[in-house]
Amino acid sequence: MTKIDRSLLEDILETIDAPVVILATDGGILRFNKACERLTGYSAGEVVGRKVWDFLILDEEIGAVRSVFEQTRGDDTPTHFVNYWKTKNGGRRLIEWSNKKVEATKVYQACIIATGKDITEARSQEKALSESKAFLRSIVDASPVAIITTKDTGEILTFSRQAELSFGYDWAEVIGNNVRMLMPAYEQSRHDGFIERYLESGEGHIIGKARPVTALRRDGEEMPVILHVSEFQDDQRIFVAFIEDVTEQRKTERRLAETRDQLQHVGRLGAMGEIASSIAHELNQPLTAAASLVGAVSLTLKKADRETNRETAQLLDDAVDEIRRASEIIRNMREFVRKRKTARSLYDVNKVVEDACKVALIGADADGVCVTTDFSPKAGEMLLDRIQIQQVVTNLVRNAVDAMKETPQRELRISTARQNGYVEVRVEDTGDGISEEIEKHLFQPFVTSKEDGTGIGLSISKSIIDAHQGEIFGANKDSTGCVFAFRLPVSKNDLIPGP
Amino acid sequence: MTSSLAPNNASVFLVDDDLAVRRGVAALLAAADYAVVSFESAEAFLLDLPELELDNAAMLVDVCMPGIQGLELQEQLKAQGVALPVIVMTAHGDVAMAVRAMRSGAVDFLEKPFTADEVSSALTRAFSAELPAAEPNESLASDLRTRFEALTPRETEVYGEIVAGATSKEIARALEISPRTVEVHRQNLMTKMEAGSIAELVRMAVALGICD
Ligand SMILES: Nc1ncnc2c1ncn2[C@@H]1O[C@H](COP(=O)(O)OP(=O)(O)OP(=O)(O)O)[C@@H](O)[C@H]1O
Repeated sequence: MTKIDRSLLEDILETIDAPVVILATDGGILRFNKACERLTGYSAGEVVGRKVWDFLILDEEIGAVRSVFEQTRGDDTPTHFVNYWKTKNGGRRLIEWSNKKVEATKVYQACIIATGKDITEARSQEKALSESKAFLRSIVDASPVAIITTKDTGEILTFSRQAELSFGYDWAEVIGNNVRMLMPAYEQSRHDGFIERYLESGEGHIIGKARPVTALRRDGEEMPVILHVSEFQDDQRIFVAFIEDVTEQRKTERRLAETRDQLQHVGRLGAMGEIASSIAHELNQPLTAAASLVGAVSLTLKKADRETNRETAQLLDDAVDEIRRASEIIRNMREFVRKRKTARSLYDVNKVVEDACKVALIGADADGVCVTTDFSPKAGEMLLDRIQIQQVVTNLVRNAVDAMKETPQRELRISTARQNGYVEVRVEDTGDGISEEIEKHLFQPFVTSKEDGTGIGLSISKSIIDAHQGEIFGANKDSTGCVFAFRLPVSKNDLIPGP
Repeated sequence: MTSSLAPNNASVFLVDDDLAVRRGVAALLAAADYAVVSFESAEAFLLDLPELELDNAAMLVDVCMPGIQGLELQEQLKAQGVALPVIVMTAHGDVAMAVRAMRSGAVDFLEKPFTADEVSSALTRAFSAELPAAEPNESLASDLRTRFEALTPRETEVYGEIVAGATSKEIARALEISPRTVEVHRQNLMTKMEAGSIAELVRMAVALGICD
């Protein structure tokens, strides 16, 4: 090697950006270039002669570094290794090394040249990336909504934990398959149509909007779900489907809807009965008058005792019969509710009340009302006509909500209790309270303060509670609002867990 | 029809708050040859009471009126020792109310609206009735009991429902038999009890103490 050659090599060594260190065969440092100095904060003067593993290597890596060193020393092939170097001020850098042995010449002793590349920053980014992927994954898996990603071909890319639970598939069974496997046949064609249209026109019928569809579980059961699809562009187009299983929700909705229908039905019957009962007397009076007048004419004709008179009298008697029939119809209407054989069975009082409250609170009027419930477990079970009692609860709750339409403080409290042989249900509000003129006739039909009210609710409620041998009452509270409550006697036939 | 006609000089005090009813019923009674005096309220009747001729008279009173009600009026008359046969009129077909009236001494009740025959036979009974007298008739009572005990269980049930105020249809529903069958039971029941009307059945039930 010529002199020029040497100085050229020296220059390269000192100007190159990569750390280069030349070690003696015992590990002692022979050369420590500028890049090494910048990297570690040590000057070459400080380190030459010292062994790398005495101060540059982390304790836990010393073993590995030494064995790589041994390997390099004993072999002609270069070695590669990634390890940390400790810097002078206590930091650490991650360096990727290429090591090569150089045989001894006349001028040089045998040595090992290690050329490094500082990968500290690159690695931490990589690590952050993989960590954030894991983080994302755990979010996706923690989501109560099933999340499925697919290619635009429909091929499933990922399948979240909740997706596994909802659909009953293991992710391994679905990855790579087409999402169509998660839909019943009739949804498949719809789905294909949507996708096709979207890909062609970019028109997002399915993108970005939540819509109810039917999904297919592994066991062949169909399940109602709410589907929301988003799209993003990676190196390819990816669809993300958020799928919420609403089976339970639908069941509850259906139960409440049924209860509501039944309540409405009974409500109508009740209203009819109540109207009939309050007009029965009114209507019966003119009917009585008419029947009597006709009867009087008939009697007069009969007394005159002529053949034609008798025939006419018979017609009049028939007329009386018709009048009586009209009277009978009204009477039957009224009896319908009062004497209706009630369908009493053993029911959980709290459940009955709770369902009725839910139904009553559907609708905008109940918005902004703060509802508290206090259902005593002692209320237990008792014999009652569920629909009728729910009718009463709904009436009371609706009235309470109505009463709070205009008030700033809107608190509704519904509670149950059991004491001294009866079960009590209370509905309290913070509304306007009962006005004086209404209070006197509170449970009578057609008493209302509402523009669109019929004023039948409370009178029906009273008939129902009467039919259950119970009591119903309502009064203003000392504070704002009023309380309505009813009590039902617990007969010895009712199987109730003792208090 | 002679049965519809009144005994000589018989008069009826009619108490009802409804003008049309008073007019109609008065016409009917007049056609049946009763002398009729109408009152628009129990109060009006009580006011005139001292001047009324109570011999050979009966009262027809609505149970449901504003102010003093029919039952109260009846109680008051009883308390004052006024011996006047009382027939109550019920507008609601409320037999329960009628039963109460009869327990406190009304001789009969009429469901509004009623026919000439019904009101005539009720009045005929009222005029021939022994007024709620001193001792209950022992032999009659035991006689009634014998008849009652001869009823079949079904008839007894039907009887109970009738005096509770149920219509045939309701009885049919309650006992889960056809209304037709109820009618048959009712006929047999009335024959066996020797009762001419539902009112009489109720009266007997009161005497037997089988209704409350
Ligand atoms: N919680 C309450 N607070 C204040 N007033 C009440 C309350 N509940 C009932 N009322 C009064 O009693 C009246 C009668 O109530 P009811 O339930 O019988 O009929 P309504 O609610 O007026 O009519 P509808 O039954 O057609 O809704 C009401 O108009 C109202 O004046």
